[in-house]
Amino acid sequence: MNDLELKIKGKIPGPDTGIEVRKSVCAICDPGTQCGLDLYVKDGKIIKVAGTKEAPHSHGTLCSKGAATRQYVYSPERIKTPLRRTGERGSGEFEQISWDEALDEIASKLNAIKKKFGSESVMFFSGYAKWARAYLMRFAMQFGSPNYLTESSTCATAMVMAQQLTYGAPAGPDFKNTNCVVYWSHNPSATKSLNLKGIDKKIESGVKVIVIDPRVTDLAQRADVFLQLRPGTDGALALAFGHVIVEEGLYDKDFVANWTRGFDEYKQLVADMTPEKAAEICCVSAADIRAAARMYAEAKPACVHFSAAPVVHHTNGVQNYRAVFCLIALTGNLDIAGGNRMNPPSLVHQPGGFPTREREFTCASKLSELPERIGSRRFPVWTRLCNEAQACDIPRQIETGQPYPLKAFFALGLNYRMFPGSQEFIDQLCKLDFIVDADLFLTDSAKYADIVLPACSSVERREIRCWPMGYVQFTQPAIEPIGEAWSDVDILSELSKRLALGDELLEAGIEACVEWMVEPSGLTVEELDKHPEGMWVPSAKPPAERKYLNNGFRTPSGKVEFVSSVLEEFEGEGLEALPSYREPAMSPISRPDLADEYPLVLNLGARLPMFQHTRTFRLPWTRALSPDPHADINPEDAAAAGIVDGAWMTIATPKGKVVVRAHVTNLVRVGDVHMYHDWPQANANDLIDGDYLDPISGFPGYRSSLCRIAPANGEGKGAVDD
Amino acid sequence: MTRKTLCFDSKKCVGCYACTVACMDQNDIDIVGDGLMYRHIAHVESKQAGEVRIVHISMACMHCDNAECLDACPAGALRRDADSGAVFVRRELCIGCHACAMACPFGIPRFGRDGTMQKCDACYARTRFGYDPACVEICPTGALSYEDVNEATAVRLRRFSKSFA
Repeated sequence: MNDLELKIKGKIPGPDTGIEVRKSVCAICDPGTQCGLDLYVKDGKIIKVAGTKEAPHSHGTLCSKGAATRQYVYSPERIKTPLRRTGERGSGEFEQISWDEALDEIASKLNAIKKKFGSESVMFFSGYAKWARAYLMRFAMQFGSPNYLTESSTCATAMVMAQQLTYGAPAGPDFKNTNCVVYWSHNPSATKSLNLKGIDKKIESGVKVIVIDPRVTDLAQRADVFLQLRPGTDGALALAFGHVIVEEGLYDKDFVANWTRGFDEYKQLVADMTPEKAAEICCVSAADIRAAARMYAEAKPACVHFSAAPVVHHTNGVQNYRAVFCLIALTGNLDIAGGNRMNPPSLVHQPGGFPTREREFTCASKLSELPERIGSRRFPVWTRLCNEAQACDIPRQIETGQPYPLKAFFALGLNYRMFPGSQEFIDQLCKLDFIVDADLFLTDSAKYADIVLPACSSVERREIRCWPMGYVQFTQPAIEPIGEAWSDVDILSELSKRLALGDELLEAGIEACVEWMVEPSGLTVEELDKHPEGMWVPSAKPPAERKYLNNGFRTPSGKVEFVSSVLEEFEGEGLEALPSYREPAMSPISRPDLADEYPLVLNLGARLPMFQHTRTFRLPWTRALSPDPHADINPEDAAAAGIVDGAWMTIATPKGKVVVRAHVTNLVRVGDVHMYHDWPQANANDLIDGDYLDPISGFPGYRSSLCRIAPANGEGKGAVDD
Repeated sequence: MTRKTLCFDSKKCVGCYACTVACMDQNDIDIVGDGLMYRHIAHVESKQAGEVRIVHISMACMHCDNAECLDACPAGALRRDADSGAVFVRRELCIGCHACAMACPFGIPRFGRDGTMQKCDACYARTRFGYDPACVEICPTGALSYEDVNEATAVRLRRFSKSFA
């Protein structure tokens, strides 16, 4: 091979090879980690991807999902044109129609429904990607519907609520400046491998690591203390930490005296939860609890690295995480360098160190003039703290028509299997008059829509992103859209014209909207457009420490609330103002009657590194790494049930049954079954009821219920590709 | 002086598969057709005295200096890139006799639907021009590197020495 041939084989960019590197951002996973993408483009087509080296958050790396971007973008399953349903809902039978036909039909149907049943009867839903959420919420508000909903009805929001109830706003871990980090149910190896960068050096420099997880993780092996607790008992463990810290006088007495509410009540609550008692509940050693509690309390500054869903996916989830977050305040580690710091979001839920008008852009203030939201009676705390409606209450409201009937559902990316009792969820949705879904692929959920719209992936559109170090990127499309795909914002912009919403800004398109949102930061689209690879924001500032000294905390009392003023209002409805521990509603302890027949704890929702929900299931590269639905079980449980590694087994609950492959591993506790979710042929979330929910947040108790396992004996194999 | 080569540090690997997929992207692997993965991840568990350990290993061709596959190949299909030292296969010459597979102590050679051998070539077409192999370029933890092997071992020697502190 000559040099040019070699360069072409190596995909080396340059004028001689005709390969150009274009910058974008990977939006397959969550805004918290999205990485800079280098797209190697030749003749308008991506021939290779790599991470963007100058991206200050991802430093040129990607995960296995981002590495598979080419198969994501060029999947043969991409929807090429708008579609109109011709068969039964769910059948997947559609006819191709033009954008004009699709948008006109959507506009006329939505306006007709609005006229007849009121604008609140139309729901506006966002799944992944999350980038267009501010635009969708604005769209819903302008349409006059309070029912803007997202998949965050089962992810992350309850964790935010636990912090809002306790100290007003989320406070993230300041890993860079800490002496001790508590990973409370966070496994970056599977979800955020970027977060592992720098951990080696930190550990070598003497930073203490505490890991709390029902599974043995990579981090757990490197921890000074690892507490492998029974799923759903995080609250008891956190209260025992509080017990040790209070009993041994390790708490921050000045902070507690001046900046907290209800310490005496909290003191009584933790007095009852001795490490010995918690050891029994959580199945860990009391000595380890004491050691971890002392380590965290004495290391100041120390931080808690929390996670979006695992702790709040329990029927006592918000209170369990509240008990954890109380420790941050108790030890005086709140809003200080190296502790947990408040850093308000700039764009798409992410802090960027600069002010924007994204919140104003959503028109959330209109909510107070609109009818009540879905879920507002059943989950009043959610409605108080969050601008969204609670989607887990949709099936009930469709079924009963109370407090008012629902008629239409407009979605940017729906995955109905996100919801507990998924089949009932979609069955209820089918009763609606009109469903629209925009997606990249004709997913199982999209098959239920009356009109399906083809959406762009991140590399085909413009979107604005920011990162906590004060970096921002307003991407340019790196390639032409696939088929006739449109950006979600273009869809909303064009629809708002046809619905005659009178929203000049949204009609003007994404550049005008971005210009309006970033105005307070001093940024302009003109400046952003000069840096498609991203830029440092000149006005960005790191968050100040101890902001509460000037403003107090954003709680009703202005203090950290061990006793929550908001929850106090609902004590009559069975909620508790203190972060008390309650057993998962279905556990061997709370339901010994059920446990006879279903002796194992079922934990749904563990992640594998190559999948983010279903988003990379259909890509051959990632799917080849884990082709079948499976669940992790301990060798002891496997032997007792007569199941060998790799064999098909059934997981049965009082609600239903699935057939999956057994992965026999010592990484999980004896008595626990950890099942990976979202598989079409073995939907984990159908194993629990749609009303198995945390009464504060409305979040499903995915991570703790009861099940039994048995060899499949050929059963269900036909339903699974074997 | 030794040459740069693919180095792997199991202490840093978290088994995330970024390397495996980046390799398939670089090499346009048609995994549902005749393509095969060149880089494999093994998750190795052990349990001793009640303590559970897991180690992740990212494995591909070692590009041995004394490569037994090269000696075993009767068809001259295995070659060494003079510049980088990488061992690569010319599939158009491969006769599918599997001699390389029998000779390789690491179980690396694999055979696609057309019967010819496929494996990692250490991205010699990239390293020639100063670019890292695709797997190294993407690795989020630095477990994979492309460097002088003696430099890599020196780092480990220091790390090991420190453990006596």
